[in-house]
Amino acid sequence: MLEPMEDRFRELLEAAPDAIIQVDAEGRILLLNRVTEELFGYTRDELLGQPVEMLVPTAQRAGHVAHRSAYAHRPSTRPMGAKMRLDGMRKDGSCFPVEISLSPGGANNDFRVMAIIRDVTERNAMQQEYTRQLEERNQAIERANRLKSEFLASMSHELRTPLHTIIGFSELLSEELQGPLNEKQKRFVGHIHKDSLHLLELINDILDLSKIESGHLTLRREAFDFATVVKESLSTVRGLADAKQHVIETKIDVPNAIVADRLRLKQILVNFLSNAVKFTPDQGSIRVEACTRTGIVEVSVSDTGIGIPPAEQALIFDKFHQVGATTKGVREGTGLGLAITRHLVEAHGGAITLESTPGKGSRFTFTIPLKS
Amino acid sequence: MKRILIADDKSTGRELVRTILENDGYEVHEAVDGPHAVEQARSLRPHLVILDLHMPGMDGFSVVATLRQEPAFSSTPILALTASAMMGDRERALGAGFTGYCTKPIRLAALRAEIVRLLKEEPT
Repeated sequence: MLEPMEDRFRELLEAAPDAIIQVDAEGRILLLNRVTEELFGYTRDELLGQPVEMLVPTAQRAGHVAHRSAYAHRPSTRPMGAKMRLDGMRKDGSCFPVEISLSPGGANNDFRVMAIIRDVTERNAMQQEYTRQLEERNQAIERANRLKSEFLASMSHELRTPLHTIIGFSELLSEELQGPLNEKQKRFVGHIHKDSLHLLELINDILDLSKIESGHLTLRREAFDFATVVKESLSTVRGLADAKQHVIETKIDVPNAIVADRLRLKQILVNFLSNAVKFTPDQGSIRVEACTRTGIVEVSVSDTGIGIPPAEQALIFDKFHQVGATTKGVREGTGLGLAITRHLVEAHGGAITLESTPGKGSRFTFTIPLKS
Repeated sequence: MKRILIADDKSTGRELVRTILENDGYEVHEAVDGPHAVEQARSLRPHLVILDLHMPGMDGFSVVATLRQEPAFSSTPILALTASAMMGDRERALGAGFTGYCTKPIRLAALRAEIVRLLKEEPT
């Protein structure tokens, strides 16, 4: 024997995990399921035939009547009060957050609305907890970041303080103003001085890299003449280049001022130039070229040095990588220079490329936007 | 002879700068901390003051703030000599009343040039 249709619908209604009610054109409750009774604390008899506003918090009842008649004019299946906080009110007067879906039903002269009401107390609590955890985590990250910056600053300070006297006194000694040194003593003092400068360079590089990696590198952009920066950069390597009898040629064709971080741009150029001088045998030649193309400056430093084997070309921009066997004992750098240089170029929105043939030479090229 | 007051809580740091300056013919006085620097400055009226920024108790910034309030020191050159080399430190020092800024480790040539520059600017 077939079950009566109504029983099957009733079963469906009662199985729903949400409160389901149906109201007529006047907002009187026509139908409800058991969850409605449980959720609002009324019995079925207390609700049937009553205005649906008895389930709405007192303060919002008048508004609800207006919303209801507006819905009757433009009925559709949609969530009620999208993006608004909705509350239901229990028989005992307590309120709780709800989410309500509305569907119109019935014929023209017999308008009915079906409302599905879900208690979202727990979900809201979970969301709040989740938000709180996220905020807590963000605060922890911010704090760790700040501590890292403070650590870097104090580390830098602590390392520089003893180096100050090591470098200063060795420089003073080598001036021999306190009395002459013999050849050996001069050489020893020279070693101390040179290695302490190397240590300083390492500290500076590590700090630079830490700043870059923790996102603390800020570029100070200003407009300046590119050719002047090339001249300044060349002057820092001139001593060593002259000692190795290098010929340095420049071809700079950057007519207008560029906007970039002047000191960092110089750091990039000095890195390329000092690598070129370091890895080019005596009497070699070095060439600096720069030109502008649509919106960018392209700069290249080429040398007739020992070159970089193809297998190592992709690796040399990594931290602490130094071209091993081929450097023939030239290992006085920190191994951080190119990694920092690449970061500095990329921070400006540019790119670095390398062409090199072992035994013939290398050509490092970078681009940066004219107004980075 | 131009008088220079150097304040640094590290005695090795003071000895280094003292040696460099005496070689160059300046009369050098030392202060071991911030309050001492203020006291020495008031009694010696130096032509130039060189201050370490990080000193326990009263740091270089407080010394500059104190001295700059006194008419006698409104235009005395004051050089910051500091191991702080982080971005923005120089701007902060120049904004706080210092007239020059050198980082530790110093390079002798750079320090000498800075001192010559500062002493030239001093109104006599």
